Amino acid sequence: MDLNLWISGVVYGLSMGSIFFLLAAGLSLCFGLMRIISLDQLLYYSLGAYVAYQVNVSTGLTWPAMAAGALAAGALSWVVERWVFDRIYAREITFTMITSFGILVAGVGAIKYVWGLVPRPMGIPVEAQVAVLGVNIPLYRLIVIAIAAGVYGAIQWLLNRTIVGTAIRAAVEDVDQVEGLGVDVYRLFTGTFVGAGVLSGLAGALHGPLVMVDPQMGLEVVPFVFMVVIIGGLGSLKGTLVSAFLVGQVVSLGSLVYAPLAQMAPFAAMLLILLWRPTGLYGSALLRR
Amino acid sequence: MKGRVRWWAGILVPFAALALGRWALPLPFVVEVLIFSVYTMACNFLLGRVGFISFGQPAYLAAGAYGTAFYLYYFGRDPLVGMLAGVLSGLVFAAVVGLVFVRLRSDYFALVNLALAVIVYHVMQKVLAPITKGDNGLWFLDRMRATPLVDLTRPEGFVWFAWLVAVGVWALYKYLDDTVFGACCLATKTNEDKVKFLGYHDFKVRWTAFTLANTTAALAGSLYGVYFGFVSPEMASAARAADPVVVTILGGTGTLYGPLVGSLAYVGMKDLVSGVVGNWEFFVGLLLVVIMLAGERGIWGTLEPWLRRRWTWRRATPALQE
Repeated sequence: MDLNLWISGVVYGLSMGSIFFLLAAGLSLCFGLMRIISLDQLLYYSLGAYVAYQVNVSTGLTWPAMAAGALAAGALSWVVERWVFDRIYAREITFTMITSFGILVAGVGAIKYVWGLVPRPMGIPVEAQVAVLGVNIPLYRLIVIAIAAGVYGAIQWLLNRTIVGTAIRAAVEDVDQVEGLGVDVYRLFTGTFVGAGVLSGLAGALHGPLVMVDPQMGLEVVPFVFMVVIIGGLGSLKGTLVSAFLVGQVVSLGSLVYAPLAQMAPFAAMLLILLWRPTGLYGSALLRR
Repeated sequence: MKGRVRWWAGILVPFAALALGRWALPLPFVVEVLIFSVYTMACNFLLGRVGFISFGQPAYLAAGAYGTAFYLYYFGRDPLVGMLAGVLSGLVFAAVVGLVFVRLRSDYFALVNLALAVIVYHVMQKVLAPITKGDNGLWFLDRMRATPLVDLTRPEGFVWFAWLVAVGVWALYKYLDDTVFGACCLATKTNEDKVKFLGYHDFKVRWTAFTLANTTAALAGSLYGVYFGFVSPEMASAARAADPVVVTILGGTGTLYGPLVGSLAYVGMKDLVSGVVGNWEFFVGLLLVVIMLAGERGIWGTLEPWLRRRWTWRRATPALQE
C-alpha cells in the first residue's frame, strides 16, 4: 500500500490518541485519587467543544475560544464537584458511576436544548500544512499532539516535583494516612476533579475542529475513552498514555485496512488484554478500597 | 397450600391490577410497561442480587431481538418459534460472554459491558449490514403467521402474551429468592470470600446468574421484536444503556416490585414529559441524580415499609438490602 497514506495515517492516529489521552487522563486520575468513575467528564468534553464553538462564532477568535471552552468545562466541573461528588466520595464505586451517568445524560439533554440537534462545524485555528517525510500534514494535528505531550509532561512534573503532587501520590496509596498528616484531602479532591474537568474541556475544544460539534459527541467517544482507560489500567497515568496512542493507532491504521474493522478492532484488542490481565496493562490489582 | 396461595397472590395481585389497566390505559403503554419491566427485572436481579452493575444491557436485548428477527425474516413465520430462537441466541451469547466478564472487578465489568453494547451496535449496523440491512432494520410484521389462542401478531392478543411472560418471569425470580442458588447470589454480592469458604464455586454462581439475567434481557428483546415486527441496530444504542439501570434504581434496587413500579413510572414519565418538552433525557438524568442523592431507595423501596405498616402484611417480600 501507499507509504504516504500510512504516514498520514500514523499522524492521524497520534492526534486522535492525544485527544483520547486528554480525556482519559482525567478519568484515570479521578479513579486513582478519589476511587470514583466520573462519567460526567464526557459532559465537560462536550461543553468544552460547544463553548469553544460559541466563542469562536461570536468573536472570530480561535485559540482563546479553546481556552474559554476548557475554562467553562472546569467551572462546571467545580459546581458538580461541590454539589454532587462532595456528598458521595465515601460511597462505593458503582454508586458514583451511576450518579455521574445521570449527570452526563442530563447535561447532554441540556446541551440539546441550548444548541439544538444539528451538528455545527467549527473553524480550524491553523490552516497551514507542513511536509513530514514528504507528506503534507495539517499543522493543527501536530499542534494537538504537542499539546497532549505538554500536558503529560506538566502532570508528571506536578505529581513528581511539587509538594501538592507528592500529597496526591501519597493519597492514591492511602487517603487516611495523608489526612492524618494534616492535609485537607477534600481540597486535593476538588483540585484534581476540576483539573480533570479542564483537561476534558480542552480535549473537546481541540477535537471540535477535527469533527463536527454535536450533542452526541460525548456519548460517541465513551467507548473509546473506556477502552483507553481499561487497557491502560484505571489509575495509571503512564498506562493511559500508552493505551491512548495504541487505540488511536489501531483505529486510524485499522480504517486504512478495512473500514468497518476500525470501530471493532480496538474492542477485540481490549477483550484479549482483559483476558490476559484483568486489570489492564498498568493497572494495579492492589488499588482496591 | 395456604402458603402457596399467598405466594402466588403476591405476584398475581399487582399483575391483575395491571391487566385491569389494559382497559383503562392506552394499549401501547401497557405493552411497553410489561416488556420494559421484564427487561428491568434482569437488571434488577444483577444489581440487587449479584451486585453486578451493567451498562451493557442493550447488547443482550439486541441479541434476543436479532435472534427473533433473523428467524422470522429469513426462515420461518411462527412468532413463538421466533421468540424461542431469540431466547436461545441470548442464552448462548450471554453464556459465552459471561465466561470472560464474570471474572472482572465491578468497575471493569460495568465499563466492558458498555463497550460490548457498542460492539454489538457496530456489528449490527456495519459489519453484518448485508444480513441485518444496517440502519434500515429488518421488517417482518406481515411475515408473521397468526397464532392460535392469542394472536401475537395483533397488539390486542400480544398484550396478554406479554402479561403471561411477565408473570412467569416474576414467578421465576421470586422462586429463586427462596432457593439456595438465590442465597448464594446474594452471598457473592456481600462477601465473595465467605462463599468460597462455604464450599460454593463463586465463579459458577456468578456465571449462572449472569447468564440467567441476560437471557431474561434477551427475552425482553424478542418480545420487542415480535411486538414491533421490526428490529434495528438502534436497540443496542449505547445512548439507551442507562435506561434499565435508571429504572431499577428508580423502582428500588433488589425489591420484587421495584422493576414493575419503576417501569410504570418511567414509561409514564417519558410519555408525559416528551409530550410537553420534547427532551426528556435532561429530566431522566436529573431524576437519577436526585434519587441517588436521596438515598437510592427508589419508589418501591420507600413505599414498601410504609405500606407494610399500613396493612401489616404477613408474608414479607424477601427484599434483602445490604
